[in-house]
Parts: sequence; C-alpha cells; structure tokens
Amino acid sequence: MRYKEYNKNKVLEHCIALFWEKGFRGCSVNDIVEKTGVNRFSLYHEFQNKEGILYDSLRLYRERYSSKNFEILKEKVDLKETLKKFYLSFLDEEESFQGCYFIHIGTEMADEDQKIKLLIKDYLSTLENLFMSLLKSHQIAKEEADLYARHLVGLFCTSMSFCLIHSESQRQNHITNGIQVILNKKKFHATNT
Amino acid sequence: MPQTLNQSYEQLVEKAQLLFWTLGYKGVKSKQLAEHLDVSASTIYNKYTKDMLFMDSIGYYTSNYSDPFLTQLRATNGGLDSLKNFFYTLIDALLDKTFPKSCLMVNTVVELRNTNEDVVEVYRKYFGTLTDSYKIVLDKAIALGQIQNPEKKDEYAEFLLGIIFSMSILYKIKSKEELRQYIDEQLSFIV
Repeated sequence: MRYKEYNKNKVLEHCIALFWEKGFRGCSVNDIVEKTGVNRFSLYHEFQNKEGILYDSLRLYRERYSSKNFEILKEKVDLKETLKKFYLSFLDEEESFQGCYFIHIGTEMADEDQKIKLLIKDYLSTLENLFMSLLKSHQIAKEEADLYARHLVGLFCTSMSFCLIHSESQRQNHITNGIQVILNKKKFHATNT
Repeated sequence: MPQTLNQSYEQLVEKAQLLFWTLGYKGVKSKQLAEHLDVSASTIYNKYTKDMLFMDSIGYYTSNYSDPFLTQLRATNGGLDSLKNFFYTLIDALLDKTFPKSCLMVNTVVELRNTNEDVVEVYRKYFGTLTDSYKIVLDKAIALGQIQNPEKKDEYAEFLLGIIFSMSILYKIKSKEELRQYIDEQLSFIV
C-alpha cells in the first residue's frame, strides 16, 4: 500500500501544478494522462472522475503546503509580524506556487460545485479558528478576537488574489496596511457608551 | 464557403464576455467559443481571435458593469453611507447573478495574474479608477465628519480596494446577512 500511496500523491502533485497553470476547466483528462504518465483507466479507478482528482488534490495541498504555513500562526512573537509573515508565506516567489490553491480553485469552481464550496468553507473556518487562537494568546478579548479573525480571513482572501499582481513592495504595503487597519480598531463598544 | 456574419462585432463581444465571465479565459476553447457565438471556427482563428474577443470582453465588462456602478458611487453625497449602499448593491448583484460569477476583473487577476501585458494595462486603469472613486467618497465622508483620522485617507482607500477581492470569495460561502455584516464591520474599521 505504501507504494500506491506514494504514487497517488505524486500524481496529485502533478495535477495541482496542472490545474494551477491551466485551470480545472482548461485542462483535459488527456493533459492529466500526459503529465502524470498514468493511463485513463487507472486514473478513473483511483479517483472516479476528473472532479475526484480535484477534491483529492485540495486535500493534498492542504496537508503539504497550507499546514506548513498555518503553523506560523502558532508562533509566539510579535502579533503583527506573525500575521504578515503568515500572509507572505503563501506569496514567496521562491516557492513553486504563489497564492493559495484553495482560493485559486474556489474562484474558478466554487459557484457550481457544492463540494468545492464546502471544502473552501471548511478551509477558511479552520483558518479563522487559528487566527482566533493566535489573537487570544496575545490577550485580546474574545469579542474583539472574533471580529478581527473574521476580517483577517477576509484579508487572506484579498492577499491571495489582489496581491498576485502586486510588486514585492505593493504586496508588503497592502498586507501591512490591512493588518493595521483591522487591528487598530480598539474598544469597539466604547463609542456606544 | 465563407460564412457571412449576421451579427455585429459588438454583439459577438457581448456574448463572448458572458462565456469568459463564467468559464474564465483558459476554460474557454476556441472551438467552443465559435459554437457559442454561432460563427465558423475559421472566423475565430482568422478574424476575431479568442484573445481579441477576450480583451474586448474585459472592455465591455468595464464599460457596462463597473463604470456605471462607479460613476453612480462618485456622484453620491452620503460618504460612508453611500459606500455601504454601494457594497450592499454589489452583494445583491453577486447573489442574484446579475454578476453571473464574482467580478470578471478579480477572476482575471487570479487566473492570468501578470502574464499578459495588455491585461496588466487594463488592471492599472481599472484599479486606478476604483481607487480614485473610493477617495472621492472618502473626501465626502471626511467633510461630513464621519472619519476620525482623515490623514489616513490613502490607507483607507487601499483597504477598501481589498473588499471586492474578499467579497469575490466570501459571497460563495456566506449568507446575505453575513455579507452585509462583513461590510458593516469593514466600514467600521475606517471610521
């Protein structure tokens, strides 16, 4: 079984690269066969259909790539620096992919495909919880942490799309600015009292 | 036998942009485009190419969807209230599919990034107009005394620029109420 798993993930790695480059729709089963060297019959046997490959590729991406970046949110250093480092970790030009595969696929597929929609939802809610834990570890009260976390997720969506066309400095600026604007809102009940 | 076109180029662009909007640039094959437009494949290969139709589709989107929206926004006088209405209208357009799939410009950013110089030029103009529009409304909000830190106008405009991007993903997974709350809170960050 080890042998098969190894191969399966390798196939999925190729598919992530392929879907990222050509889009899910822009990519035919022939393209997948060509890139992975696995024949159509075996692909269907393993994944049922092209969508099956996509769902599994999201799982692998999350395990292999996102989880490593998500770990940054557990670091106990300066809050704003941690957040900035986290967002930028997805945009590192040294890495094979810039941006987030979930946002990329979500942009293309989440309107029509319910399963993709649920996967994105789950992914972003995991992220929201990580933000919340991080904020709480910095002694931010629950109510504020909830608010900030919701909008740090929004900033994640923005960074994984808008920042793709930014220069290095524009990207740094957009992310730093976003973090500042969100976290600088303090005591949001004070104005009402 | 050469096929005569019984549709104007403008009509072809109008149809093509809907296809690009829902399927993306890469998701549309030339053959499929020809079928959708009801023209011969050679028309797409030789006369009106996929790239040409795509560029004009973005132009069509800008002048028919975003520009009217932004012109209206710039003419408002309510400052932050106008911004709120603007984003609420956007939520409705996304949910009722007046905008069939998110914002064509955001989709294009994610799909094509900076790979095509002509498209990069389109981004520059598009986001320039968007930023200017937000600044005009922020000026009005400042004049109305709605913003405590007017010196942060540029930072706030940059922050607002992010909203159409985050909304383009969030509308797919959140309810109308949640989206409205999201907008209210985003605006509360800049008061």
